[in-house]
Amino acid sequence: MNAATDLSFAAPGLHGQLAQLSPEQLDRLDFGVIAFDGETVVSQYNQTESEAAGLSASRVLGQPLFTNVAPCMNNFMVAQRFEDAQDEGSPLDDTIDYVLTLRMRPIKVKLRLLAEPGSAQRYVLVQRKL
Amino acid sequence: MSLAVGLDAHAQLAAEHEALIQFLYLAPVGLVQTGIDGEIAMINPISAQLLMPLSRDGCLTNLFAALEDVAPELRHLCETFAHPNGMICDGLHIHLNSGVAGKRMRVPQVLSLSLLKLDGARLMAVLSDVSEQVRRERQLRQSDAWLNALLTSISDYALVGLDREGRVSDWNETIARVTGFTAAVVGQPYSVFYPEGATTPDLVGDRLREADANGWSLDEGPRLRFDGSQFFGSSMISPMPDRDLDAVADGEPAYCLVLRDISDKRDAIDKRRRSVFCDHLTGVANRRAFFEAAELELNRNRRTPRPTALILFDADHFKQINDRHGHPAGDRVLRQLGAALSLTFRQVDVVARVGGEEFAVLLPSSTLAGAAAVAERLRQLVEGQPVGFEGASIAYTVSAGIAAIGAGETIDLDTLIKRADRALYAAKAKGRNRVECWNGDLDAA
Repeated sequence: MNAATDLSFAAPGLHGQLAQLSPEQLDRLDFGVIAFDGETVVSQYNQTESEAAGLSASRVLGQPLFTNVAPCMNNFMVAQRFEDAQDEGSPLDDTIDYVLTLRMRPIKVKLRLLAEPGSAQRYVLVQRKL
Repeated sequence: MSLAVGLDAHAQLAAEHEALIQFLYLAPVGLVQTGIDGEIAMINPISAQLLMPLSRDGCLTNLFAALEDVAPELRHLCETFAHPNGMICDGLHIHLNSGVAGKRMRVPQVLSLSLLKLDGARLMAVLSDVSEQVRRERQLRQSDAWLNALLTSISDYALVGLDREGRVSDWNETIARVTGFTAAVVGQPYSVFYPEGATTPDLVGDRLREADANGWSLDEGPRLRFDGSQFFGSSMISPMPDRDLDAVADGEPAYCLVLRDISDKRDAIDKRRRSVFCDHLTGVANRRAFFEAAELELNRNRRTPRPTALILFDADHFKQINDRHGHPAGDRVLRQLGAALSLTFRQVDVVARVGGEEFAVLLPSSTLAGAAAVAERLRQLVEGQPVGFEGASIAYTVSAGIAAIGAGETIDLDTLIKRADRALYAAKAKGRNRVECWNGDLDAA
């Protein structure tokens, strides 16, 4: 079995492992992956997320995450966490319950917020609830 | 039609659909479509951004439920809307809690909500964060009050010199004409012109500090004549031009107080205030007035430390009253509770309805023990005074939770509210109809 598809939403140490994956491997994951850089510009947007949101990656890549891609996360519950971690230079690995408005339907999800000091790459992972 | 053309048309439709979805994702305003009962059918991202921090259960299945804590009247508003369709509310301001402690991110303080009834089954809602607009309006309003004070024709005014500490420094004819005080008033603090309970020694100093900082400080309200009678007046305090506060000797004028009798304007002023700052049902302050007053008081508290207390009252088993006697009876109970609170507390205290059956009282310059004594008086008053409604006598009780800021402590409004809320929770847990004060132990959560 391909190592990439082994990765689960809840796997420990996920930040480092995601950074190793090719775009094709990211696309095979069963949870949504949005990667963004130190300026919040989206650098990766995998197939799972693209299909759930109804947006192709081309509309999203290169856009600032919290204003142009996922404004629903632009509050103290999500965006603030990343800002705090960045300011304090501390790691962030938290999973919260949230509601996304995918295709304008309220969908309960789990969000995993990942940031590592020393790495510009940060991630929001999205797990649709079963 | 050839297969290629069909595919083309399909691809074009798909692209248009995607563009439309993105258009809705990016709309910088919250849009929600719900059933008539508030059940959410469609919702865009800004709505989630604004509503998620408010939703108690972390769900966005019902709009009314998500806003329950901050706009408890919505369901009722929709139920009682008589027309088959039309605007139920247009730009209704919803005041949120003052912000999240310790967070640097700008947290919305005021949301605007418009609700459109489409038909018997559907509502559309528009939500936006209007905190900044409201802040600007507030500044404008203060300037308006100032201009009003300058420009309106007035029956008379008294010109009073105040020393560094706010004591009357000189006497003149105008003071006698407007207030009836004789020269013996010299040396007394200007609170001598205020009825009991309408100001505190701390507040006397606050207004001087505000005059120092802004160039003027204005307030309108009841004033006291020498003979004990009252009039409705405006007081504007401004620093003497070119004075050097450190160089002004004790007893020398450092401020000018212009005291005007504006009794003839009172109705208009009251009406304007009521429409903006009063709870429509009970007539006490609304959430907006409460948060504005509390922010102001806590700012003053930080500048000049003094104790400040907050009491949260909650009518016990209120739902049962509504269920047993009907909503009009429940409304009557709330009105009576509001009246009892207004009567029991000082004029300088801010009594506000902050939730369905929850009231808050902010007590400037009051200790925890002082607030507890008044809360206990209110509790007894309510217990001994059943509400009459259509022949029935409805007995009810209240629980209270109290927290205070000690002199020199710095606590933000949210923490103060949370502590009072913990104490209220403890009062409920211990059997209701009681007053509990916050102590560190209750802070566990």
